[in-house]
Parts: sequence; structure tokens; C-alpha cells
Amino acid sequence: MEGLRNRRNRILLRELIKTDFKLRYQGSTLGYLWAVLKPLLMFAILYVVFSKILRFGGEIPHYPVYLLTGTVFWNFFTECTFQGIHAIEDRGDLIRKISFPKYIVVLSATSTAVINLLINVGVIFVFALINGCTPSLSWLLVIPSIIELYALALGISLWLGAVNVRLRDIGSIWEVLTQALFYAVPIIYPISMVTAVSSTAANIILVNPIAQVIQDVRYNVVTDQTVTTWGFTGVVWGLVSVLIVIVILIFGALYFRKRSKRFAEEV
Amino acid sequence: MKRVDEYLKKMSKEAREELEQDDYALKVTNLHKDFRLPTERAWGLKQAIFNRIKGIKGFRTQHVLRGIDFTVAKGEFLGIVGRNGSGKSTLLKVLAGIYVPEKGSVRVNGNLVPFIELGVGFNPELTGRENVYLNGALLGFSNADMDKMYDDIVDFAELRDFMDQKLKNYSSGMQVRLAFSIAIRARGDILILDEVLAVGDAAFQEKCNEYFKSLHGQQTVILVTHDMANVEKFCDRAILIEEGVIACEGKPEKVTKAYMKLWED
Repeated sequence: MEGLRNRRNRILLRELIKTDFKLRYQGSTLGYLWAVLKPLLMFAILYVVFSKILRFGGEIPHYPVYLLTGTVFWNFFTECTFQGIHAIEDRGDLIRKISFPKYIVVLSATSTAVINLLINVGVIFVFALINGCTPSLSWLLVIPSIIELYALALGISLWLGAVNVRLRDIGSIWEVLTQALFYAVPIIYPISMVTAVSSTAANIILVNPIAQVIQDVRYNVVTDQTVTTWGFTGVVWGLVSVLIVIVILIFGALYFRKRSKRFAEEV
Repeated sequence: MKRVDEYLKKMSKEAREELEQDDYALKVTNLHKDFRLPTERAWGLKQAIFNRIKGIKGFRTQHVLRGIDFTVAKGEFLGIVGRNGSGKSTLLKVLAGIYVPEKGSVRVNGNLVPFIELGVGFNPELTGRENVYLNGALLGFSNADMDKMYDDIVDFAELRDFMDQKLKNYSSGMQVRLAFSIAIRARGDILILDEVLAVGDAAFQEKCNEYFKSLHGQQTVILVTHDMANVEKFCDRAILIEEGVIACEGKPEKVTKAYMKLWED
């Protein structure tokens, strides 16, 4: 399997990304604006319900931005994996008819989510400034966080996407699983609500790489009063969290490579 | 296949260069391809678990290609014929690198442009122009490459006035014409064509025939078809595939005769 150094593969990836992005919002009046509007509207709902009605997060400064950061990164993770897992199935027509490294299809399917995330990170920065957060160099640390979360989403996409070719139930199972996962990550509730009850439970929640990434971004962009995996459970568990991502990505890639030889026959 | 690669690596530089200068375009050795056909309903999670518990494999193996050997010389026009289900499309897909063979090897000398089907990746929501570039990318051509070929493609397809319209507004004949024009403008060392001669109206077909004649001796082409007249008209040599093996090989007239004979028994 030749990598992206191969000119042909690069051309193919670029063209597929362009097409996906072009087709995504075709026929809608607001077009690309929906990429920004969707998470903002989601955020508005969560903000009204959890911040205004249930009165969560009173002790956290800039709570609206804090909440927005959580939802944006969570949405990225789910969008990325949903697109990625179904990528092979959706592009079956290409896989049956031309020869190319199959992971290109997964990369192109997940790229729309990455583009949306980058736009939304810009929105977070704007809201942070409006809300009175001080811009600092630590905002740049959002870059390694994005890379880590994308690596996780990609690993899961490659692994479950390869399984999904033969067992179409996987896509649906994953959707239900992410619903459960949503409540296992401190997005709409502050982690302090958990620590108050059980610090073991908080430890477990924070070792989850998704929680680790979201808390890191909040810490670096919104407020240093954010509880992070590194600060709360220690550096060792922080590294475990990163290690989980690396293991999933490597395992997913190897499994995908092994199975991809038969995709053209099975899809 | 792996062993061949290792062997090639070990070979001396001179020997390798000599092999590369060889005048073959494609060399197929002892090619085997099996398919796993699911028995009853082996798809889905429930059935997979059920089969695992009961020790059912959930598929049976069908041997589609059972030892195919042939060589295509540079500049040769080779026809492949055979009944439906004889394995010729599978062979083509193995040659194109879409299927991985169980055993044997395919050695390609140069760059191979396969057309298993016309208009791969065509999207009805994109314009004709966008589809040309997308289809080109799928065949390995960059935007700059396509810029150079674009006018030629559009002129050959006779669709100049429609290029900024969405593909869904094209008639099916227009779509095929566009796809075919991209296919024949694609410059590769080896062209693989599957059953694509029958496109468009009589005038367009005439134009295509002219084009195929002009390719003769210039370009290496492997053509899979059911049309025996085309085999005799264009091909230097032909192969008849029956039940996964080569049943007849040689002059087009000889092979088409053998093909006709399949129905006499």
C-alpha cells in the first residue's frame, strides 16, 4: 500500500474531499452557514436547559463558552465517526470499480467534520473574546487537542468501518453507544458535580480521551479553573488516556488494512 | 506473489533492468481467484453470532479463476471473450487491482487505466464539467492534466453547450457519451475496456470505431466484449475463457469460432 506520497492518491483524496464538501449543503438556502449554525443552535438549546433552567455550572466562569466548547468538540467526534464508519459502504460504487487504497475514502469522509470543526473553533474564539476571556498563546494548544481527538475518531472509524462492511448492525450499535457515551463525558454537566459524589467515578470519566481533550481545550481557551485529567488524576493517567488513542488508531489501521483486501467483494 | 517480489529484490541490478526492458505490457501467471458466497443469510450480527456458536462457516467457496496464464505484448490489442459467469469480469478486476488474487501474479509494465465501467463516480448533482474533473481524478489525473484534455473530451462528446448543466439533466445517452469520451482520452500505457463499445447513436458509434482503428498498433488494449464482430475487427489476438480457465487462445477468427461452438453442444 503506497501512502499519500503517491501523487495519484493525493489527487484522489483532494477531489473526493472537494466533492463531499460541495454536495454537503447543496440545495439549501443558507449553504455552508449551516456548518456554523447547527452547533450554535444545539448550544442554544443546551444553554437554556442546563444553564438557565437547571442552573448547572454556576461556579465556572464563562460557562456559556465552556458549554459551547464541549458541544463543538463532541459534535465533531460523533460526526467524524458516523461519516467514517459508513464511508466504505457509501463509496461502494468506487471500491467495486477502481483500485486505490481504501483508507482514502475514510479520510475524505471524515474531512468534512474536520473542516466544520476548524470553522467552529473560530466561532469559539469569537465567543470567548465577546465573553471576556483573555486571548493568550495557550489558545494554540487547541491544535494538539484537535489532532488527538481526530486520531481517536479515525481509529474508531477504520476499525468499526471495516467491521461494518460485513456486519451492517455496527453503524446502528455505534449510534446508540455514542448516546450513552455523551452522558459519560462532562459536556453538559461540570465534572465538579461528579467529584462531589465520588472521586473514583470522576477519575474514570476523565481517563476517557474524549473527556481529556475537551477539558484540555476548556482549560487552555476558556478558564484555568477547568478540572483537567492531568491536574485531577495525575500525569500517569493523562498519559494512559493518550495511549488509549494511540492503541485504538494503530489497531484500527492494522485491522482495516487486513480486511480492506476483500472490501471490493463484500461491500 | 510475495515470493516473487522478494525474488525480484534479490536479483542483480542488470537482471532486473533486462526484465524491465522486456517488451511485454502485462504478464499473468497462474492466476487463481475464489469468492466466498454467503450461504442463506450470513450477513448481519445475529446470524454471525448464531453461525459462530453452531460452527457454521456461513459461506461456501466458489473457484472463479482456476489458473490463468497469458502475456500481452506492448502495442497488442487483445480481446477476451466468454459466456456470462465464465470469469472474465473477475479476471479484469484482478488485472485492475480491484480484487486480490488467492494465488498467482499480475505483472504490469507501465501504467494501467482500467474502465470496468464507464463514468465511475459520476454524480448527478454535479455539473458536467465537475464530473469530468472528478472522473479524471479517479483515474489518476490532476486538475492540470485534465485542463489539457478537457477541450478534447468535450469536443469528442459533442456536449460543449451542456457542460455547466447538472448531470441529472443529461439524457442517458449524453451521460454515456461524456463518460466514454473521458475514457478514450485518458492516456495510459495499457487500456482495459469492459463492454463499452456499444454507446451512443450510429454516428457516435462510427466515430468510436474510427478511434479504435487508430489505436491499433499504438496502444496496448485489453477489450472484454460479447460482440464477435468487434473482436475480429479490432483485435490482434483473443482469449476465450470458460469456467475459469483459458479454453482457447490465438487468432481472433479461431477464438470467435470456438466461442460460437459453445452453444452448439
